[in-house]
Amino acid sequence: MTTQITSARPAAGPRKGARRRPPASNATKVGRPSFAWALPAAVFFALFAIAPLVMVAVLSFMTWDGISSPEFVGMDNWSRLMDDPVMLDSIWLTLLLTVLGVVIQTPLSVVLGVWAAGNQRNRAVLSVIYFIPLLLSATAVSVLWRALLDPNFGIPAEATWLFGDGNLFGKQATAIGVLAFVATWQFTPFHTLIYQGAARAVPEVLYQAAEIDGAGRYRQFFHITLPQLRNSMITSMILMVVGGLTTFETVLILTQGGPGTDTTISAYYMYDKAFQSFDFGIGAAIALALVVAATIISLIVVRVSGYDKMRSTMEGVS
Amino acid sequence: MKTRARLPRLVACGATLTLALTLSACGDGDGGSGSDGKIHVLVYGDATNKVEKQLVEKFNKTSDVKVVLDTIPGADYQKKLQTIINTPQAPDVFFNWGGGSIKPFVKAGLLLPLDDMIKKNPDLENKFLPSVFNNAVVDGKPYGIPMRGTQPVLLFHNKKVLDEAGVKPPKTWDELLEAVSALKAKGVTPIALGGGDIWPTQMWFQYLYDRVAGPELFAKAIGGDKSAWESPDSKKALNMIRELVDAGAFGKNYDSVKYTNAGSVQLVASGKAGFELMGSWYYSQQLTDHPDFAQKSLGYTAFPTLSGGKGDAKNVAGNTNNYYSVMKKTKHPEAVAEFLKLMYSDDFVKAQLDIGNLPTTTNTKDFLDQAADPKYSRFQYDLVADAPSFQLSWDQAYPQKASSDMHKAIQQFFNGQLDTDGFIKAMQALPTD
Repeated sequence: MTTQITSARPAAGPRKGARRRPPASNATKVGRPSFAWALPAAVFFALFAIAPLVMVAVLSFMTWDGISSPEFVGMDNWSRLMDDPVMLDSIWLTLLLTVLGVVIQTPLSVVLGVWAAGNQRNRAVLSVIYFIPLLLSATAVSVLWRALLDPNFGIPAEATWLFGDGNLFGKQATAIGVLAFVATWQFTPFHTLIYQGAARAVPEVLYQAAEIDGAGRYRQFFHITLPQLRNSMITSMILMVVGGLTTFETVLILTQGGPGTDTTISAYYMYDKAFQSFDFGIGAAIALALVVAATIISLIVVRVSGYDKMRSTMEGVS
Repeated sequence: MKTRARLPRLVACGATLTLALTLSACGDGDGGSGSDGKIHVLVYGDATNKVEKQLVEKFNKTSDVKVVLDTIPGADYQKKLQTIINTPQAPDVFFNWGGGSIKPFVKAGLLLPLDDMIKKNPDLENKFLPSVFNNAVVDGKPYGIPMRGTQPVLLFHNKKVLDEAGVKPPKTWDELLEAVSALKAKGVTPIALGGGDIWPTQMWFQYLYDRVAGPELFAKAIGGDKSAWESPDSKKALNMIRELVDAGAFGKNYDSVKYTNAGSVQLVASGKAGFELMGSWYYSQQLTDHPDFAQKSLGYTAFPTLSGGKGDAKNVAGNTNNYYSVMKKTKHPEAVAEFLKLMYSDDFVKAQLDIGNLPTTTNTKDFLDQAADPKYSRFQYDLVADAPSFQLSWDQAYPQKASSDMHKAIQQFFNGQLDTDGFIKAMQALPTD
């Protein structure tokens, strides 16, 4: 390394390539990394993502109970799905839970994230406590809340003025409410973490300039912090949407899709069909529909937000 | 620079090597019965495994072919079993509930009919109560040897709560209805129900259908005659359930209560509810969770009789027993036959009684006095031995693929989301084979 530094005199000129500054990497000289470097990842991706996806696609045109040999049935599974009222309901429920998740969690995590990015007293301690739900598995979280919300011995028994008879899991509206609440409780810390990091990256000079111009805290928040969080917000929302579309464990443990089929979201319906009713063909069709839907929604979010252009929020700052 | 460059290469080589080894290990890995000199026995993972481990140890001491006990914990046993049953990971011998739970496997030709084994050793059949043994007979051939214990569903109660409300344990349906209103007047939930799990809700259907129509109706329905569900008896049973629910017998929040997280168990133990209909394992559950209550105030009776009902008042419902079935592909059928002999051995009976299970062998009677609670074990044994018919739990009698839709229909009828016709339609739509 030392030889490089000594040779990097300003007089060296363009002939010496990009080595104008000592710390600059020699990437430009080496060129783009060869495809071989991507090979292990590509092999794994093909083996564990592409291949199963293709198999699921094929399976969606078959009928198979997991024991006997599968048979081709053409579009049968798909046409059955189209006529299935539970499937239609499950799509609405999935979208509803996803939207609820984004709408409730985004403002909460932005506010908390920005707060946690500051340097108030005790902030670090509170943040650590606040991040605990993030460390728990979805299963543990669900079991915990199912016990806490027991109508006779949990929170509802103590707060009857709020919960009435406590039949939270026996009615559709409250069951969905519980699912949204538990998701919020579990995932807001994660998104808060994203916003905390992003808020810390906002250059201090912007706030100093705003202060000189006489902007108050709220104006600073809305005119500097929020716009600067734009890209993080998109990242966080895509994660929420994809996470919302694939929610499963919470439903499995908290409501089992019930009462009846009232909280049967698509991912749970897939499990129900494939692994409880042993109709793997239908299960595969639902899974494939979910993959397609999640991909389309993610693409829309990326397009609409302009995330694909990779524009930096730091433009004109540094 | 050179030493540094070597490191990543070394790591990469190592990773590749490890990967190659792992992959090849997967390739020749033995999946269950492939290996020599071993038979894999798969059982439902719970407290009873203690006894099974003892038996296996004892068996392995004298046998050349060793038994390996595998357990799948939790209520997902059957789902996981069905996922592996037609793969190399399948066991040689596995735990099941007989009835519809093994029918699909028999149809797929995966199970070994046990008549040859029984011909060589008739005790494999003779040593068990016939009503229990017959439950694992499919298309005239036996496919299971009873193991563990019988689990009739009983009506449990909190003696203290009943006393305070001036109620006696009901012998008839009318007495039960009276008890419900008396308990309600006292401000307690008359009957605890873990509706969140749904299978406890199903127990009320099993018993009422049996009392109203006799076991024939369900036998007809599961035999493929779907008209059984729209018969007057079926509608009568449904009406009775409706009346009971509407009378507030189960309170208002039963669908949010679970048995599996001990919610309903605690309702009865804490005196907030009077009754609970549950399998005989309830006693040991209470003994574990609330020992004081279980020893002093837990009472039990058979399901009430119903005047005018077609079903025999002595009929019981529940889990007849568990069974060991044998896979056709097993390489050591002789060793399996030897292992199955243990299921009617004195040691087996004693060990099961010790942990509160009630085996269904003919020699069980001789050991009843040595049970953990002789009175309770004798009550159960007499109940099962005297029963003209033992209705297997609906979701075990039907093939596994029907159980999810059946549970939905039962929950929806119970909480009013489905009316009688809706329920009948849902039950008619269930696959029966």
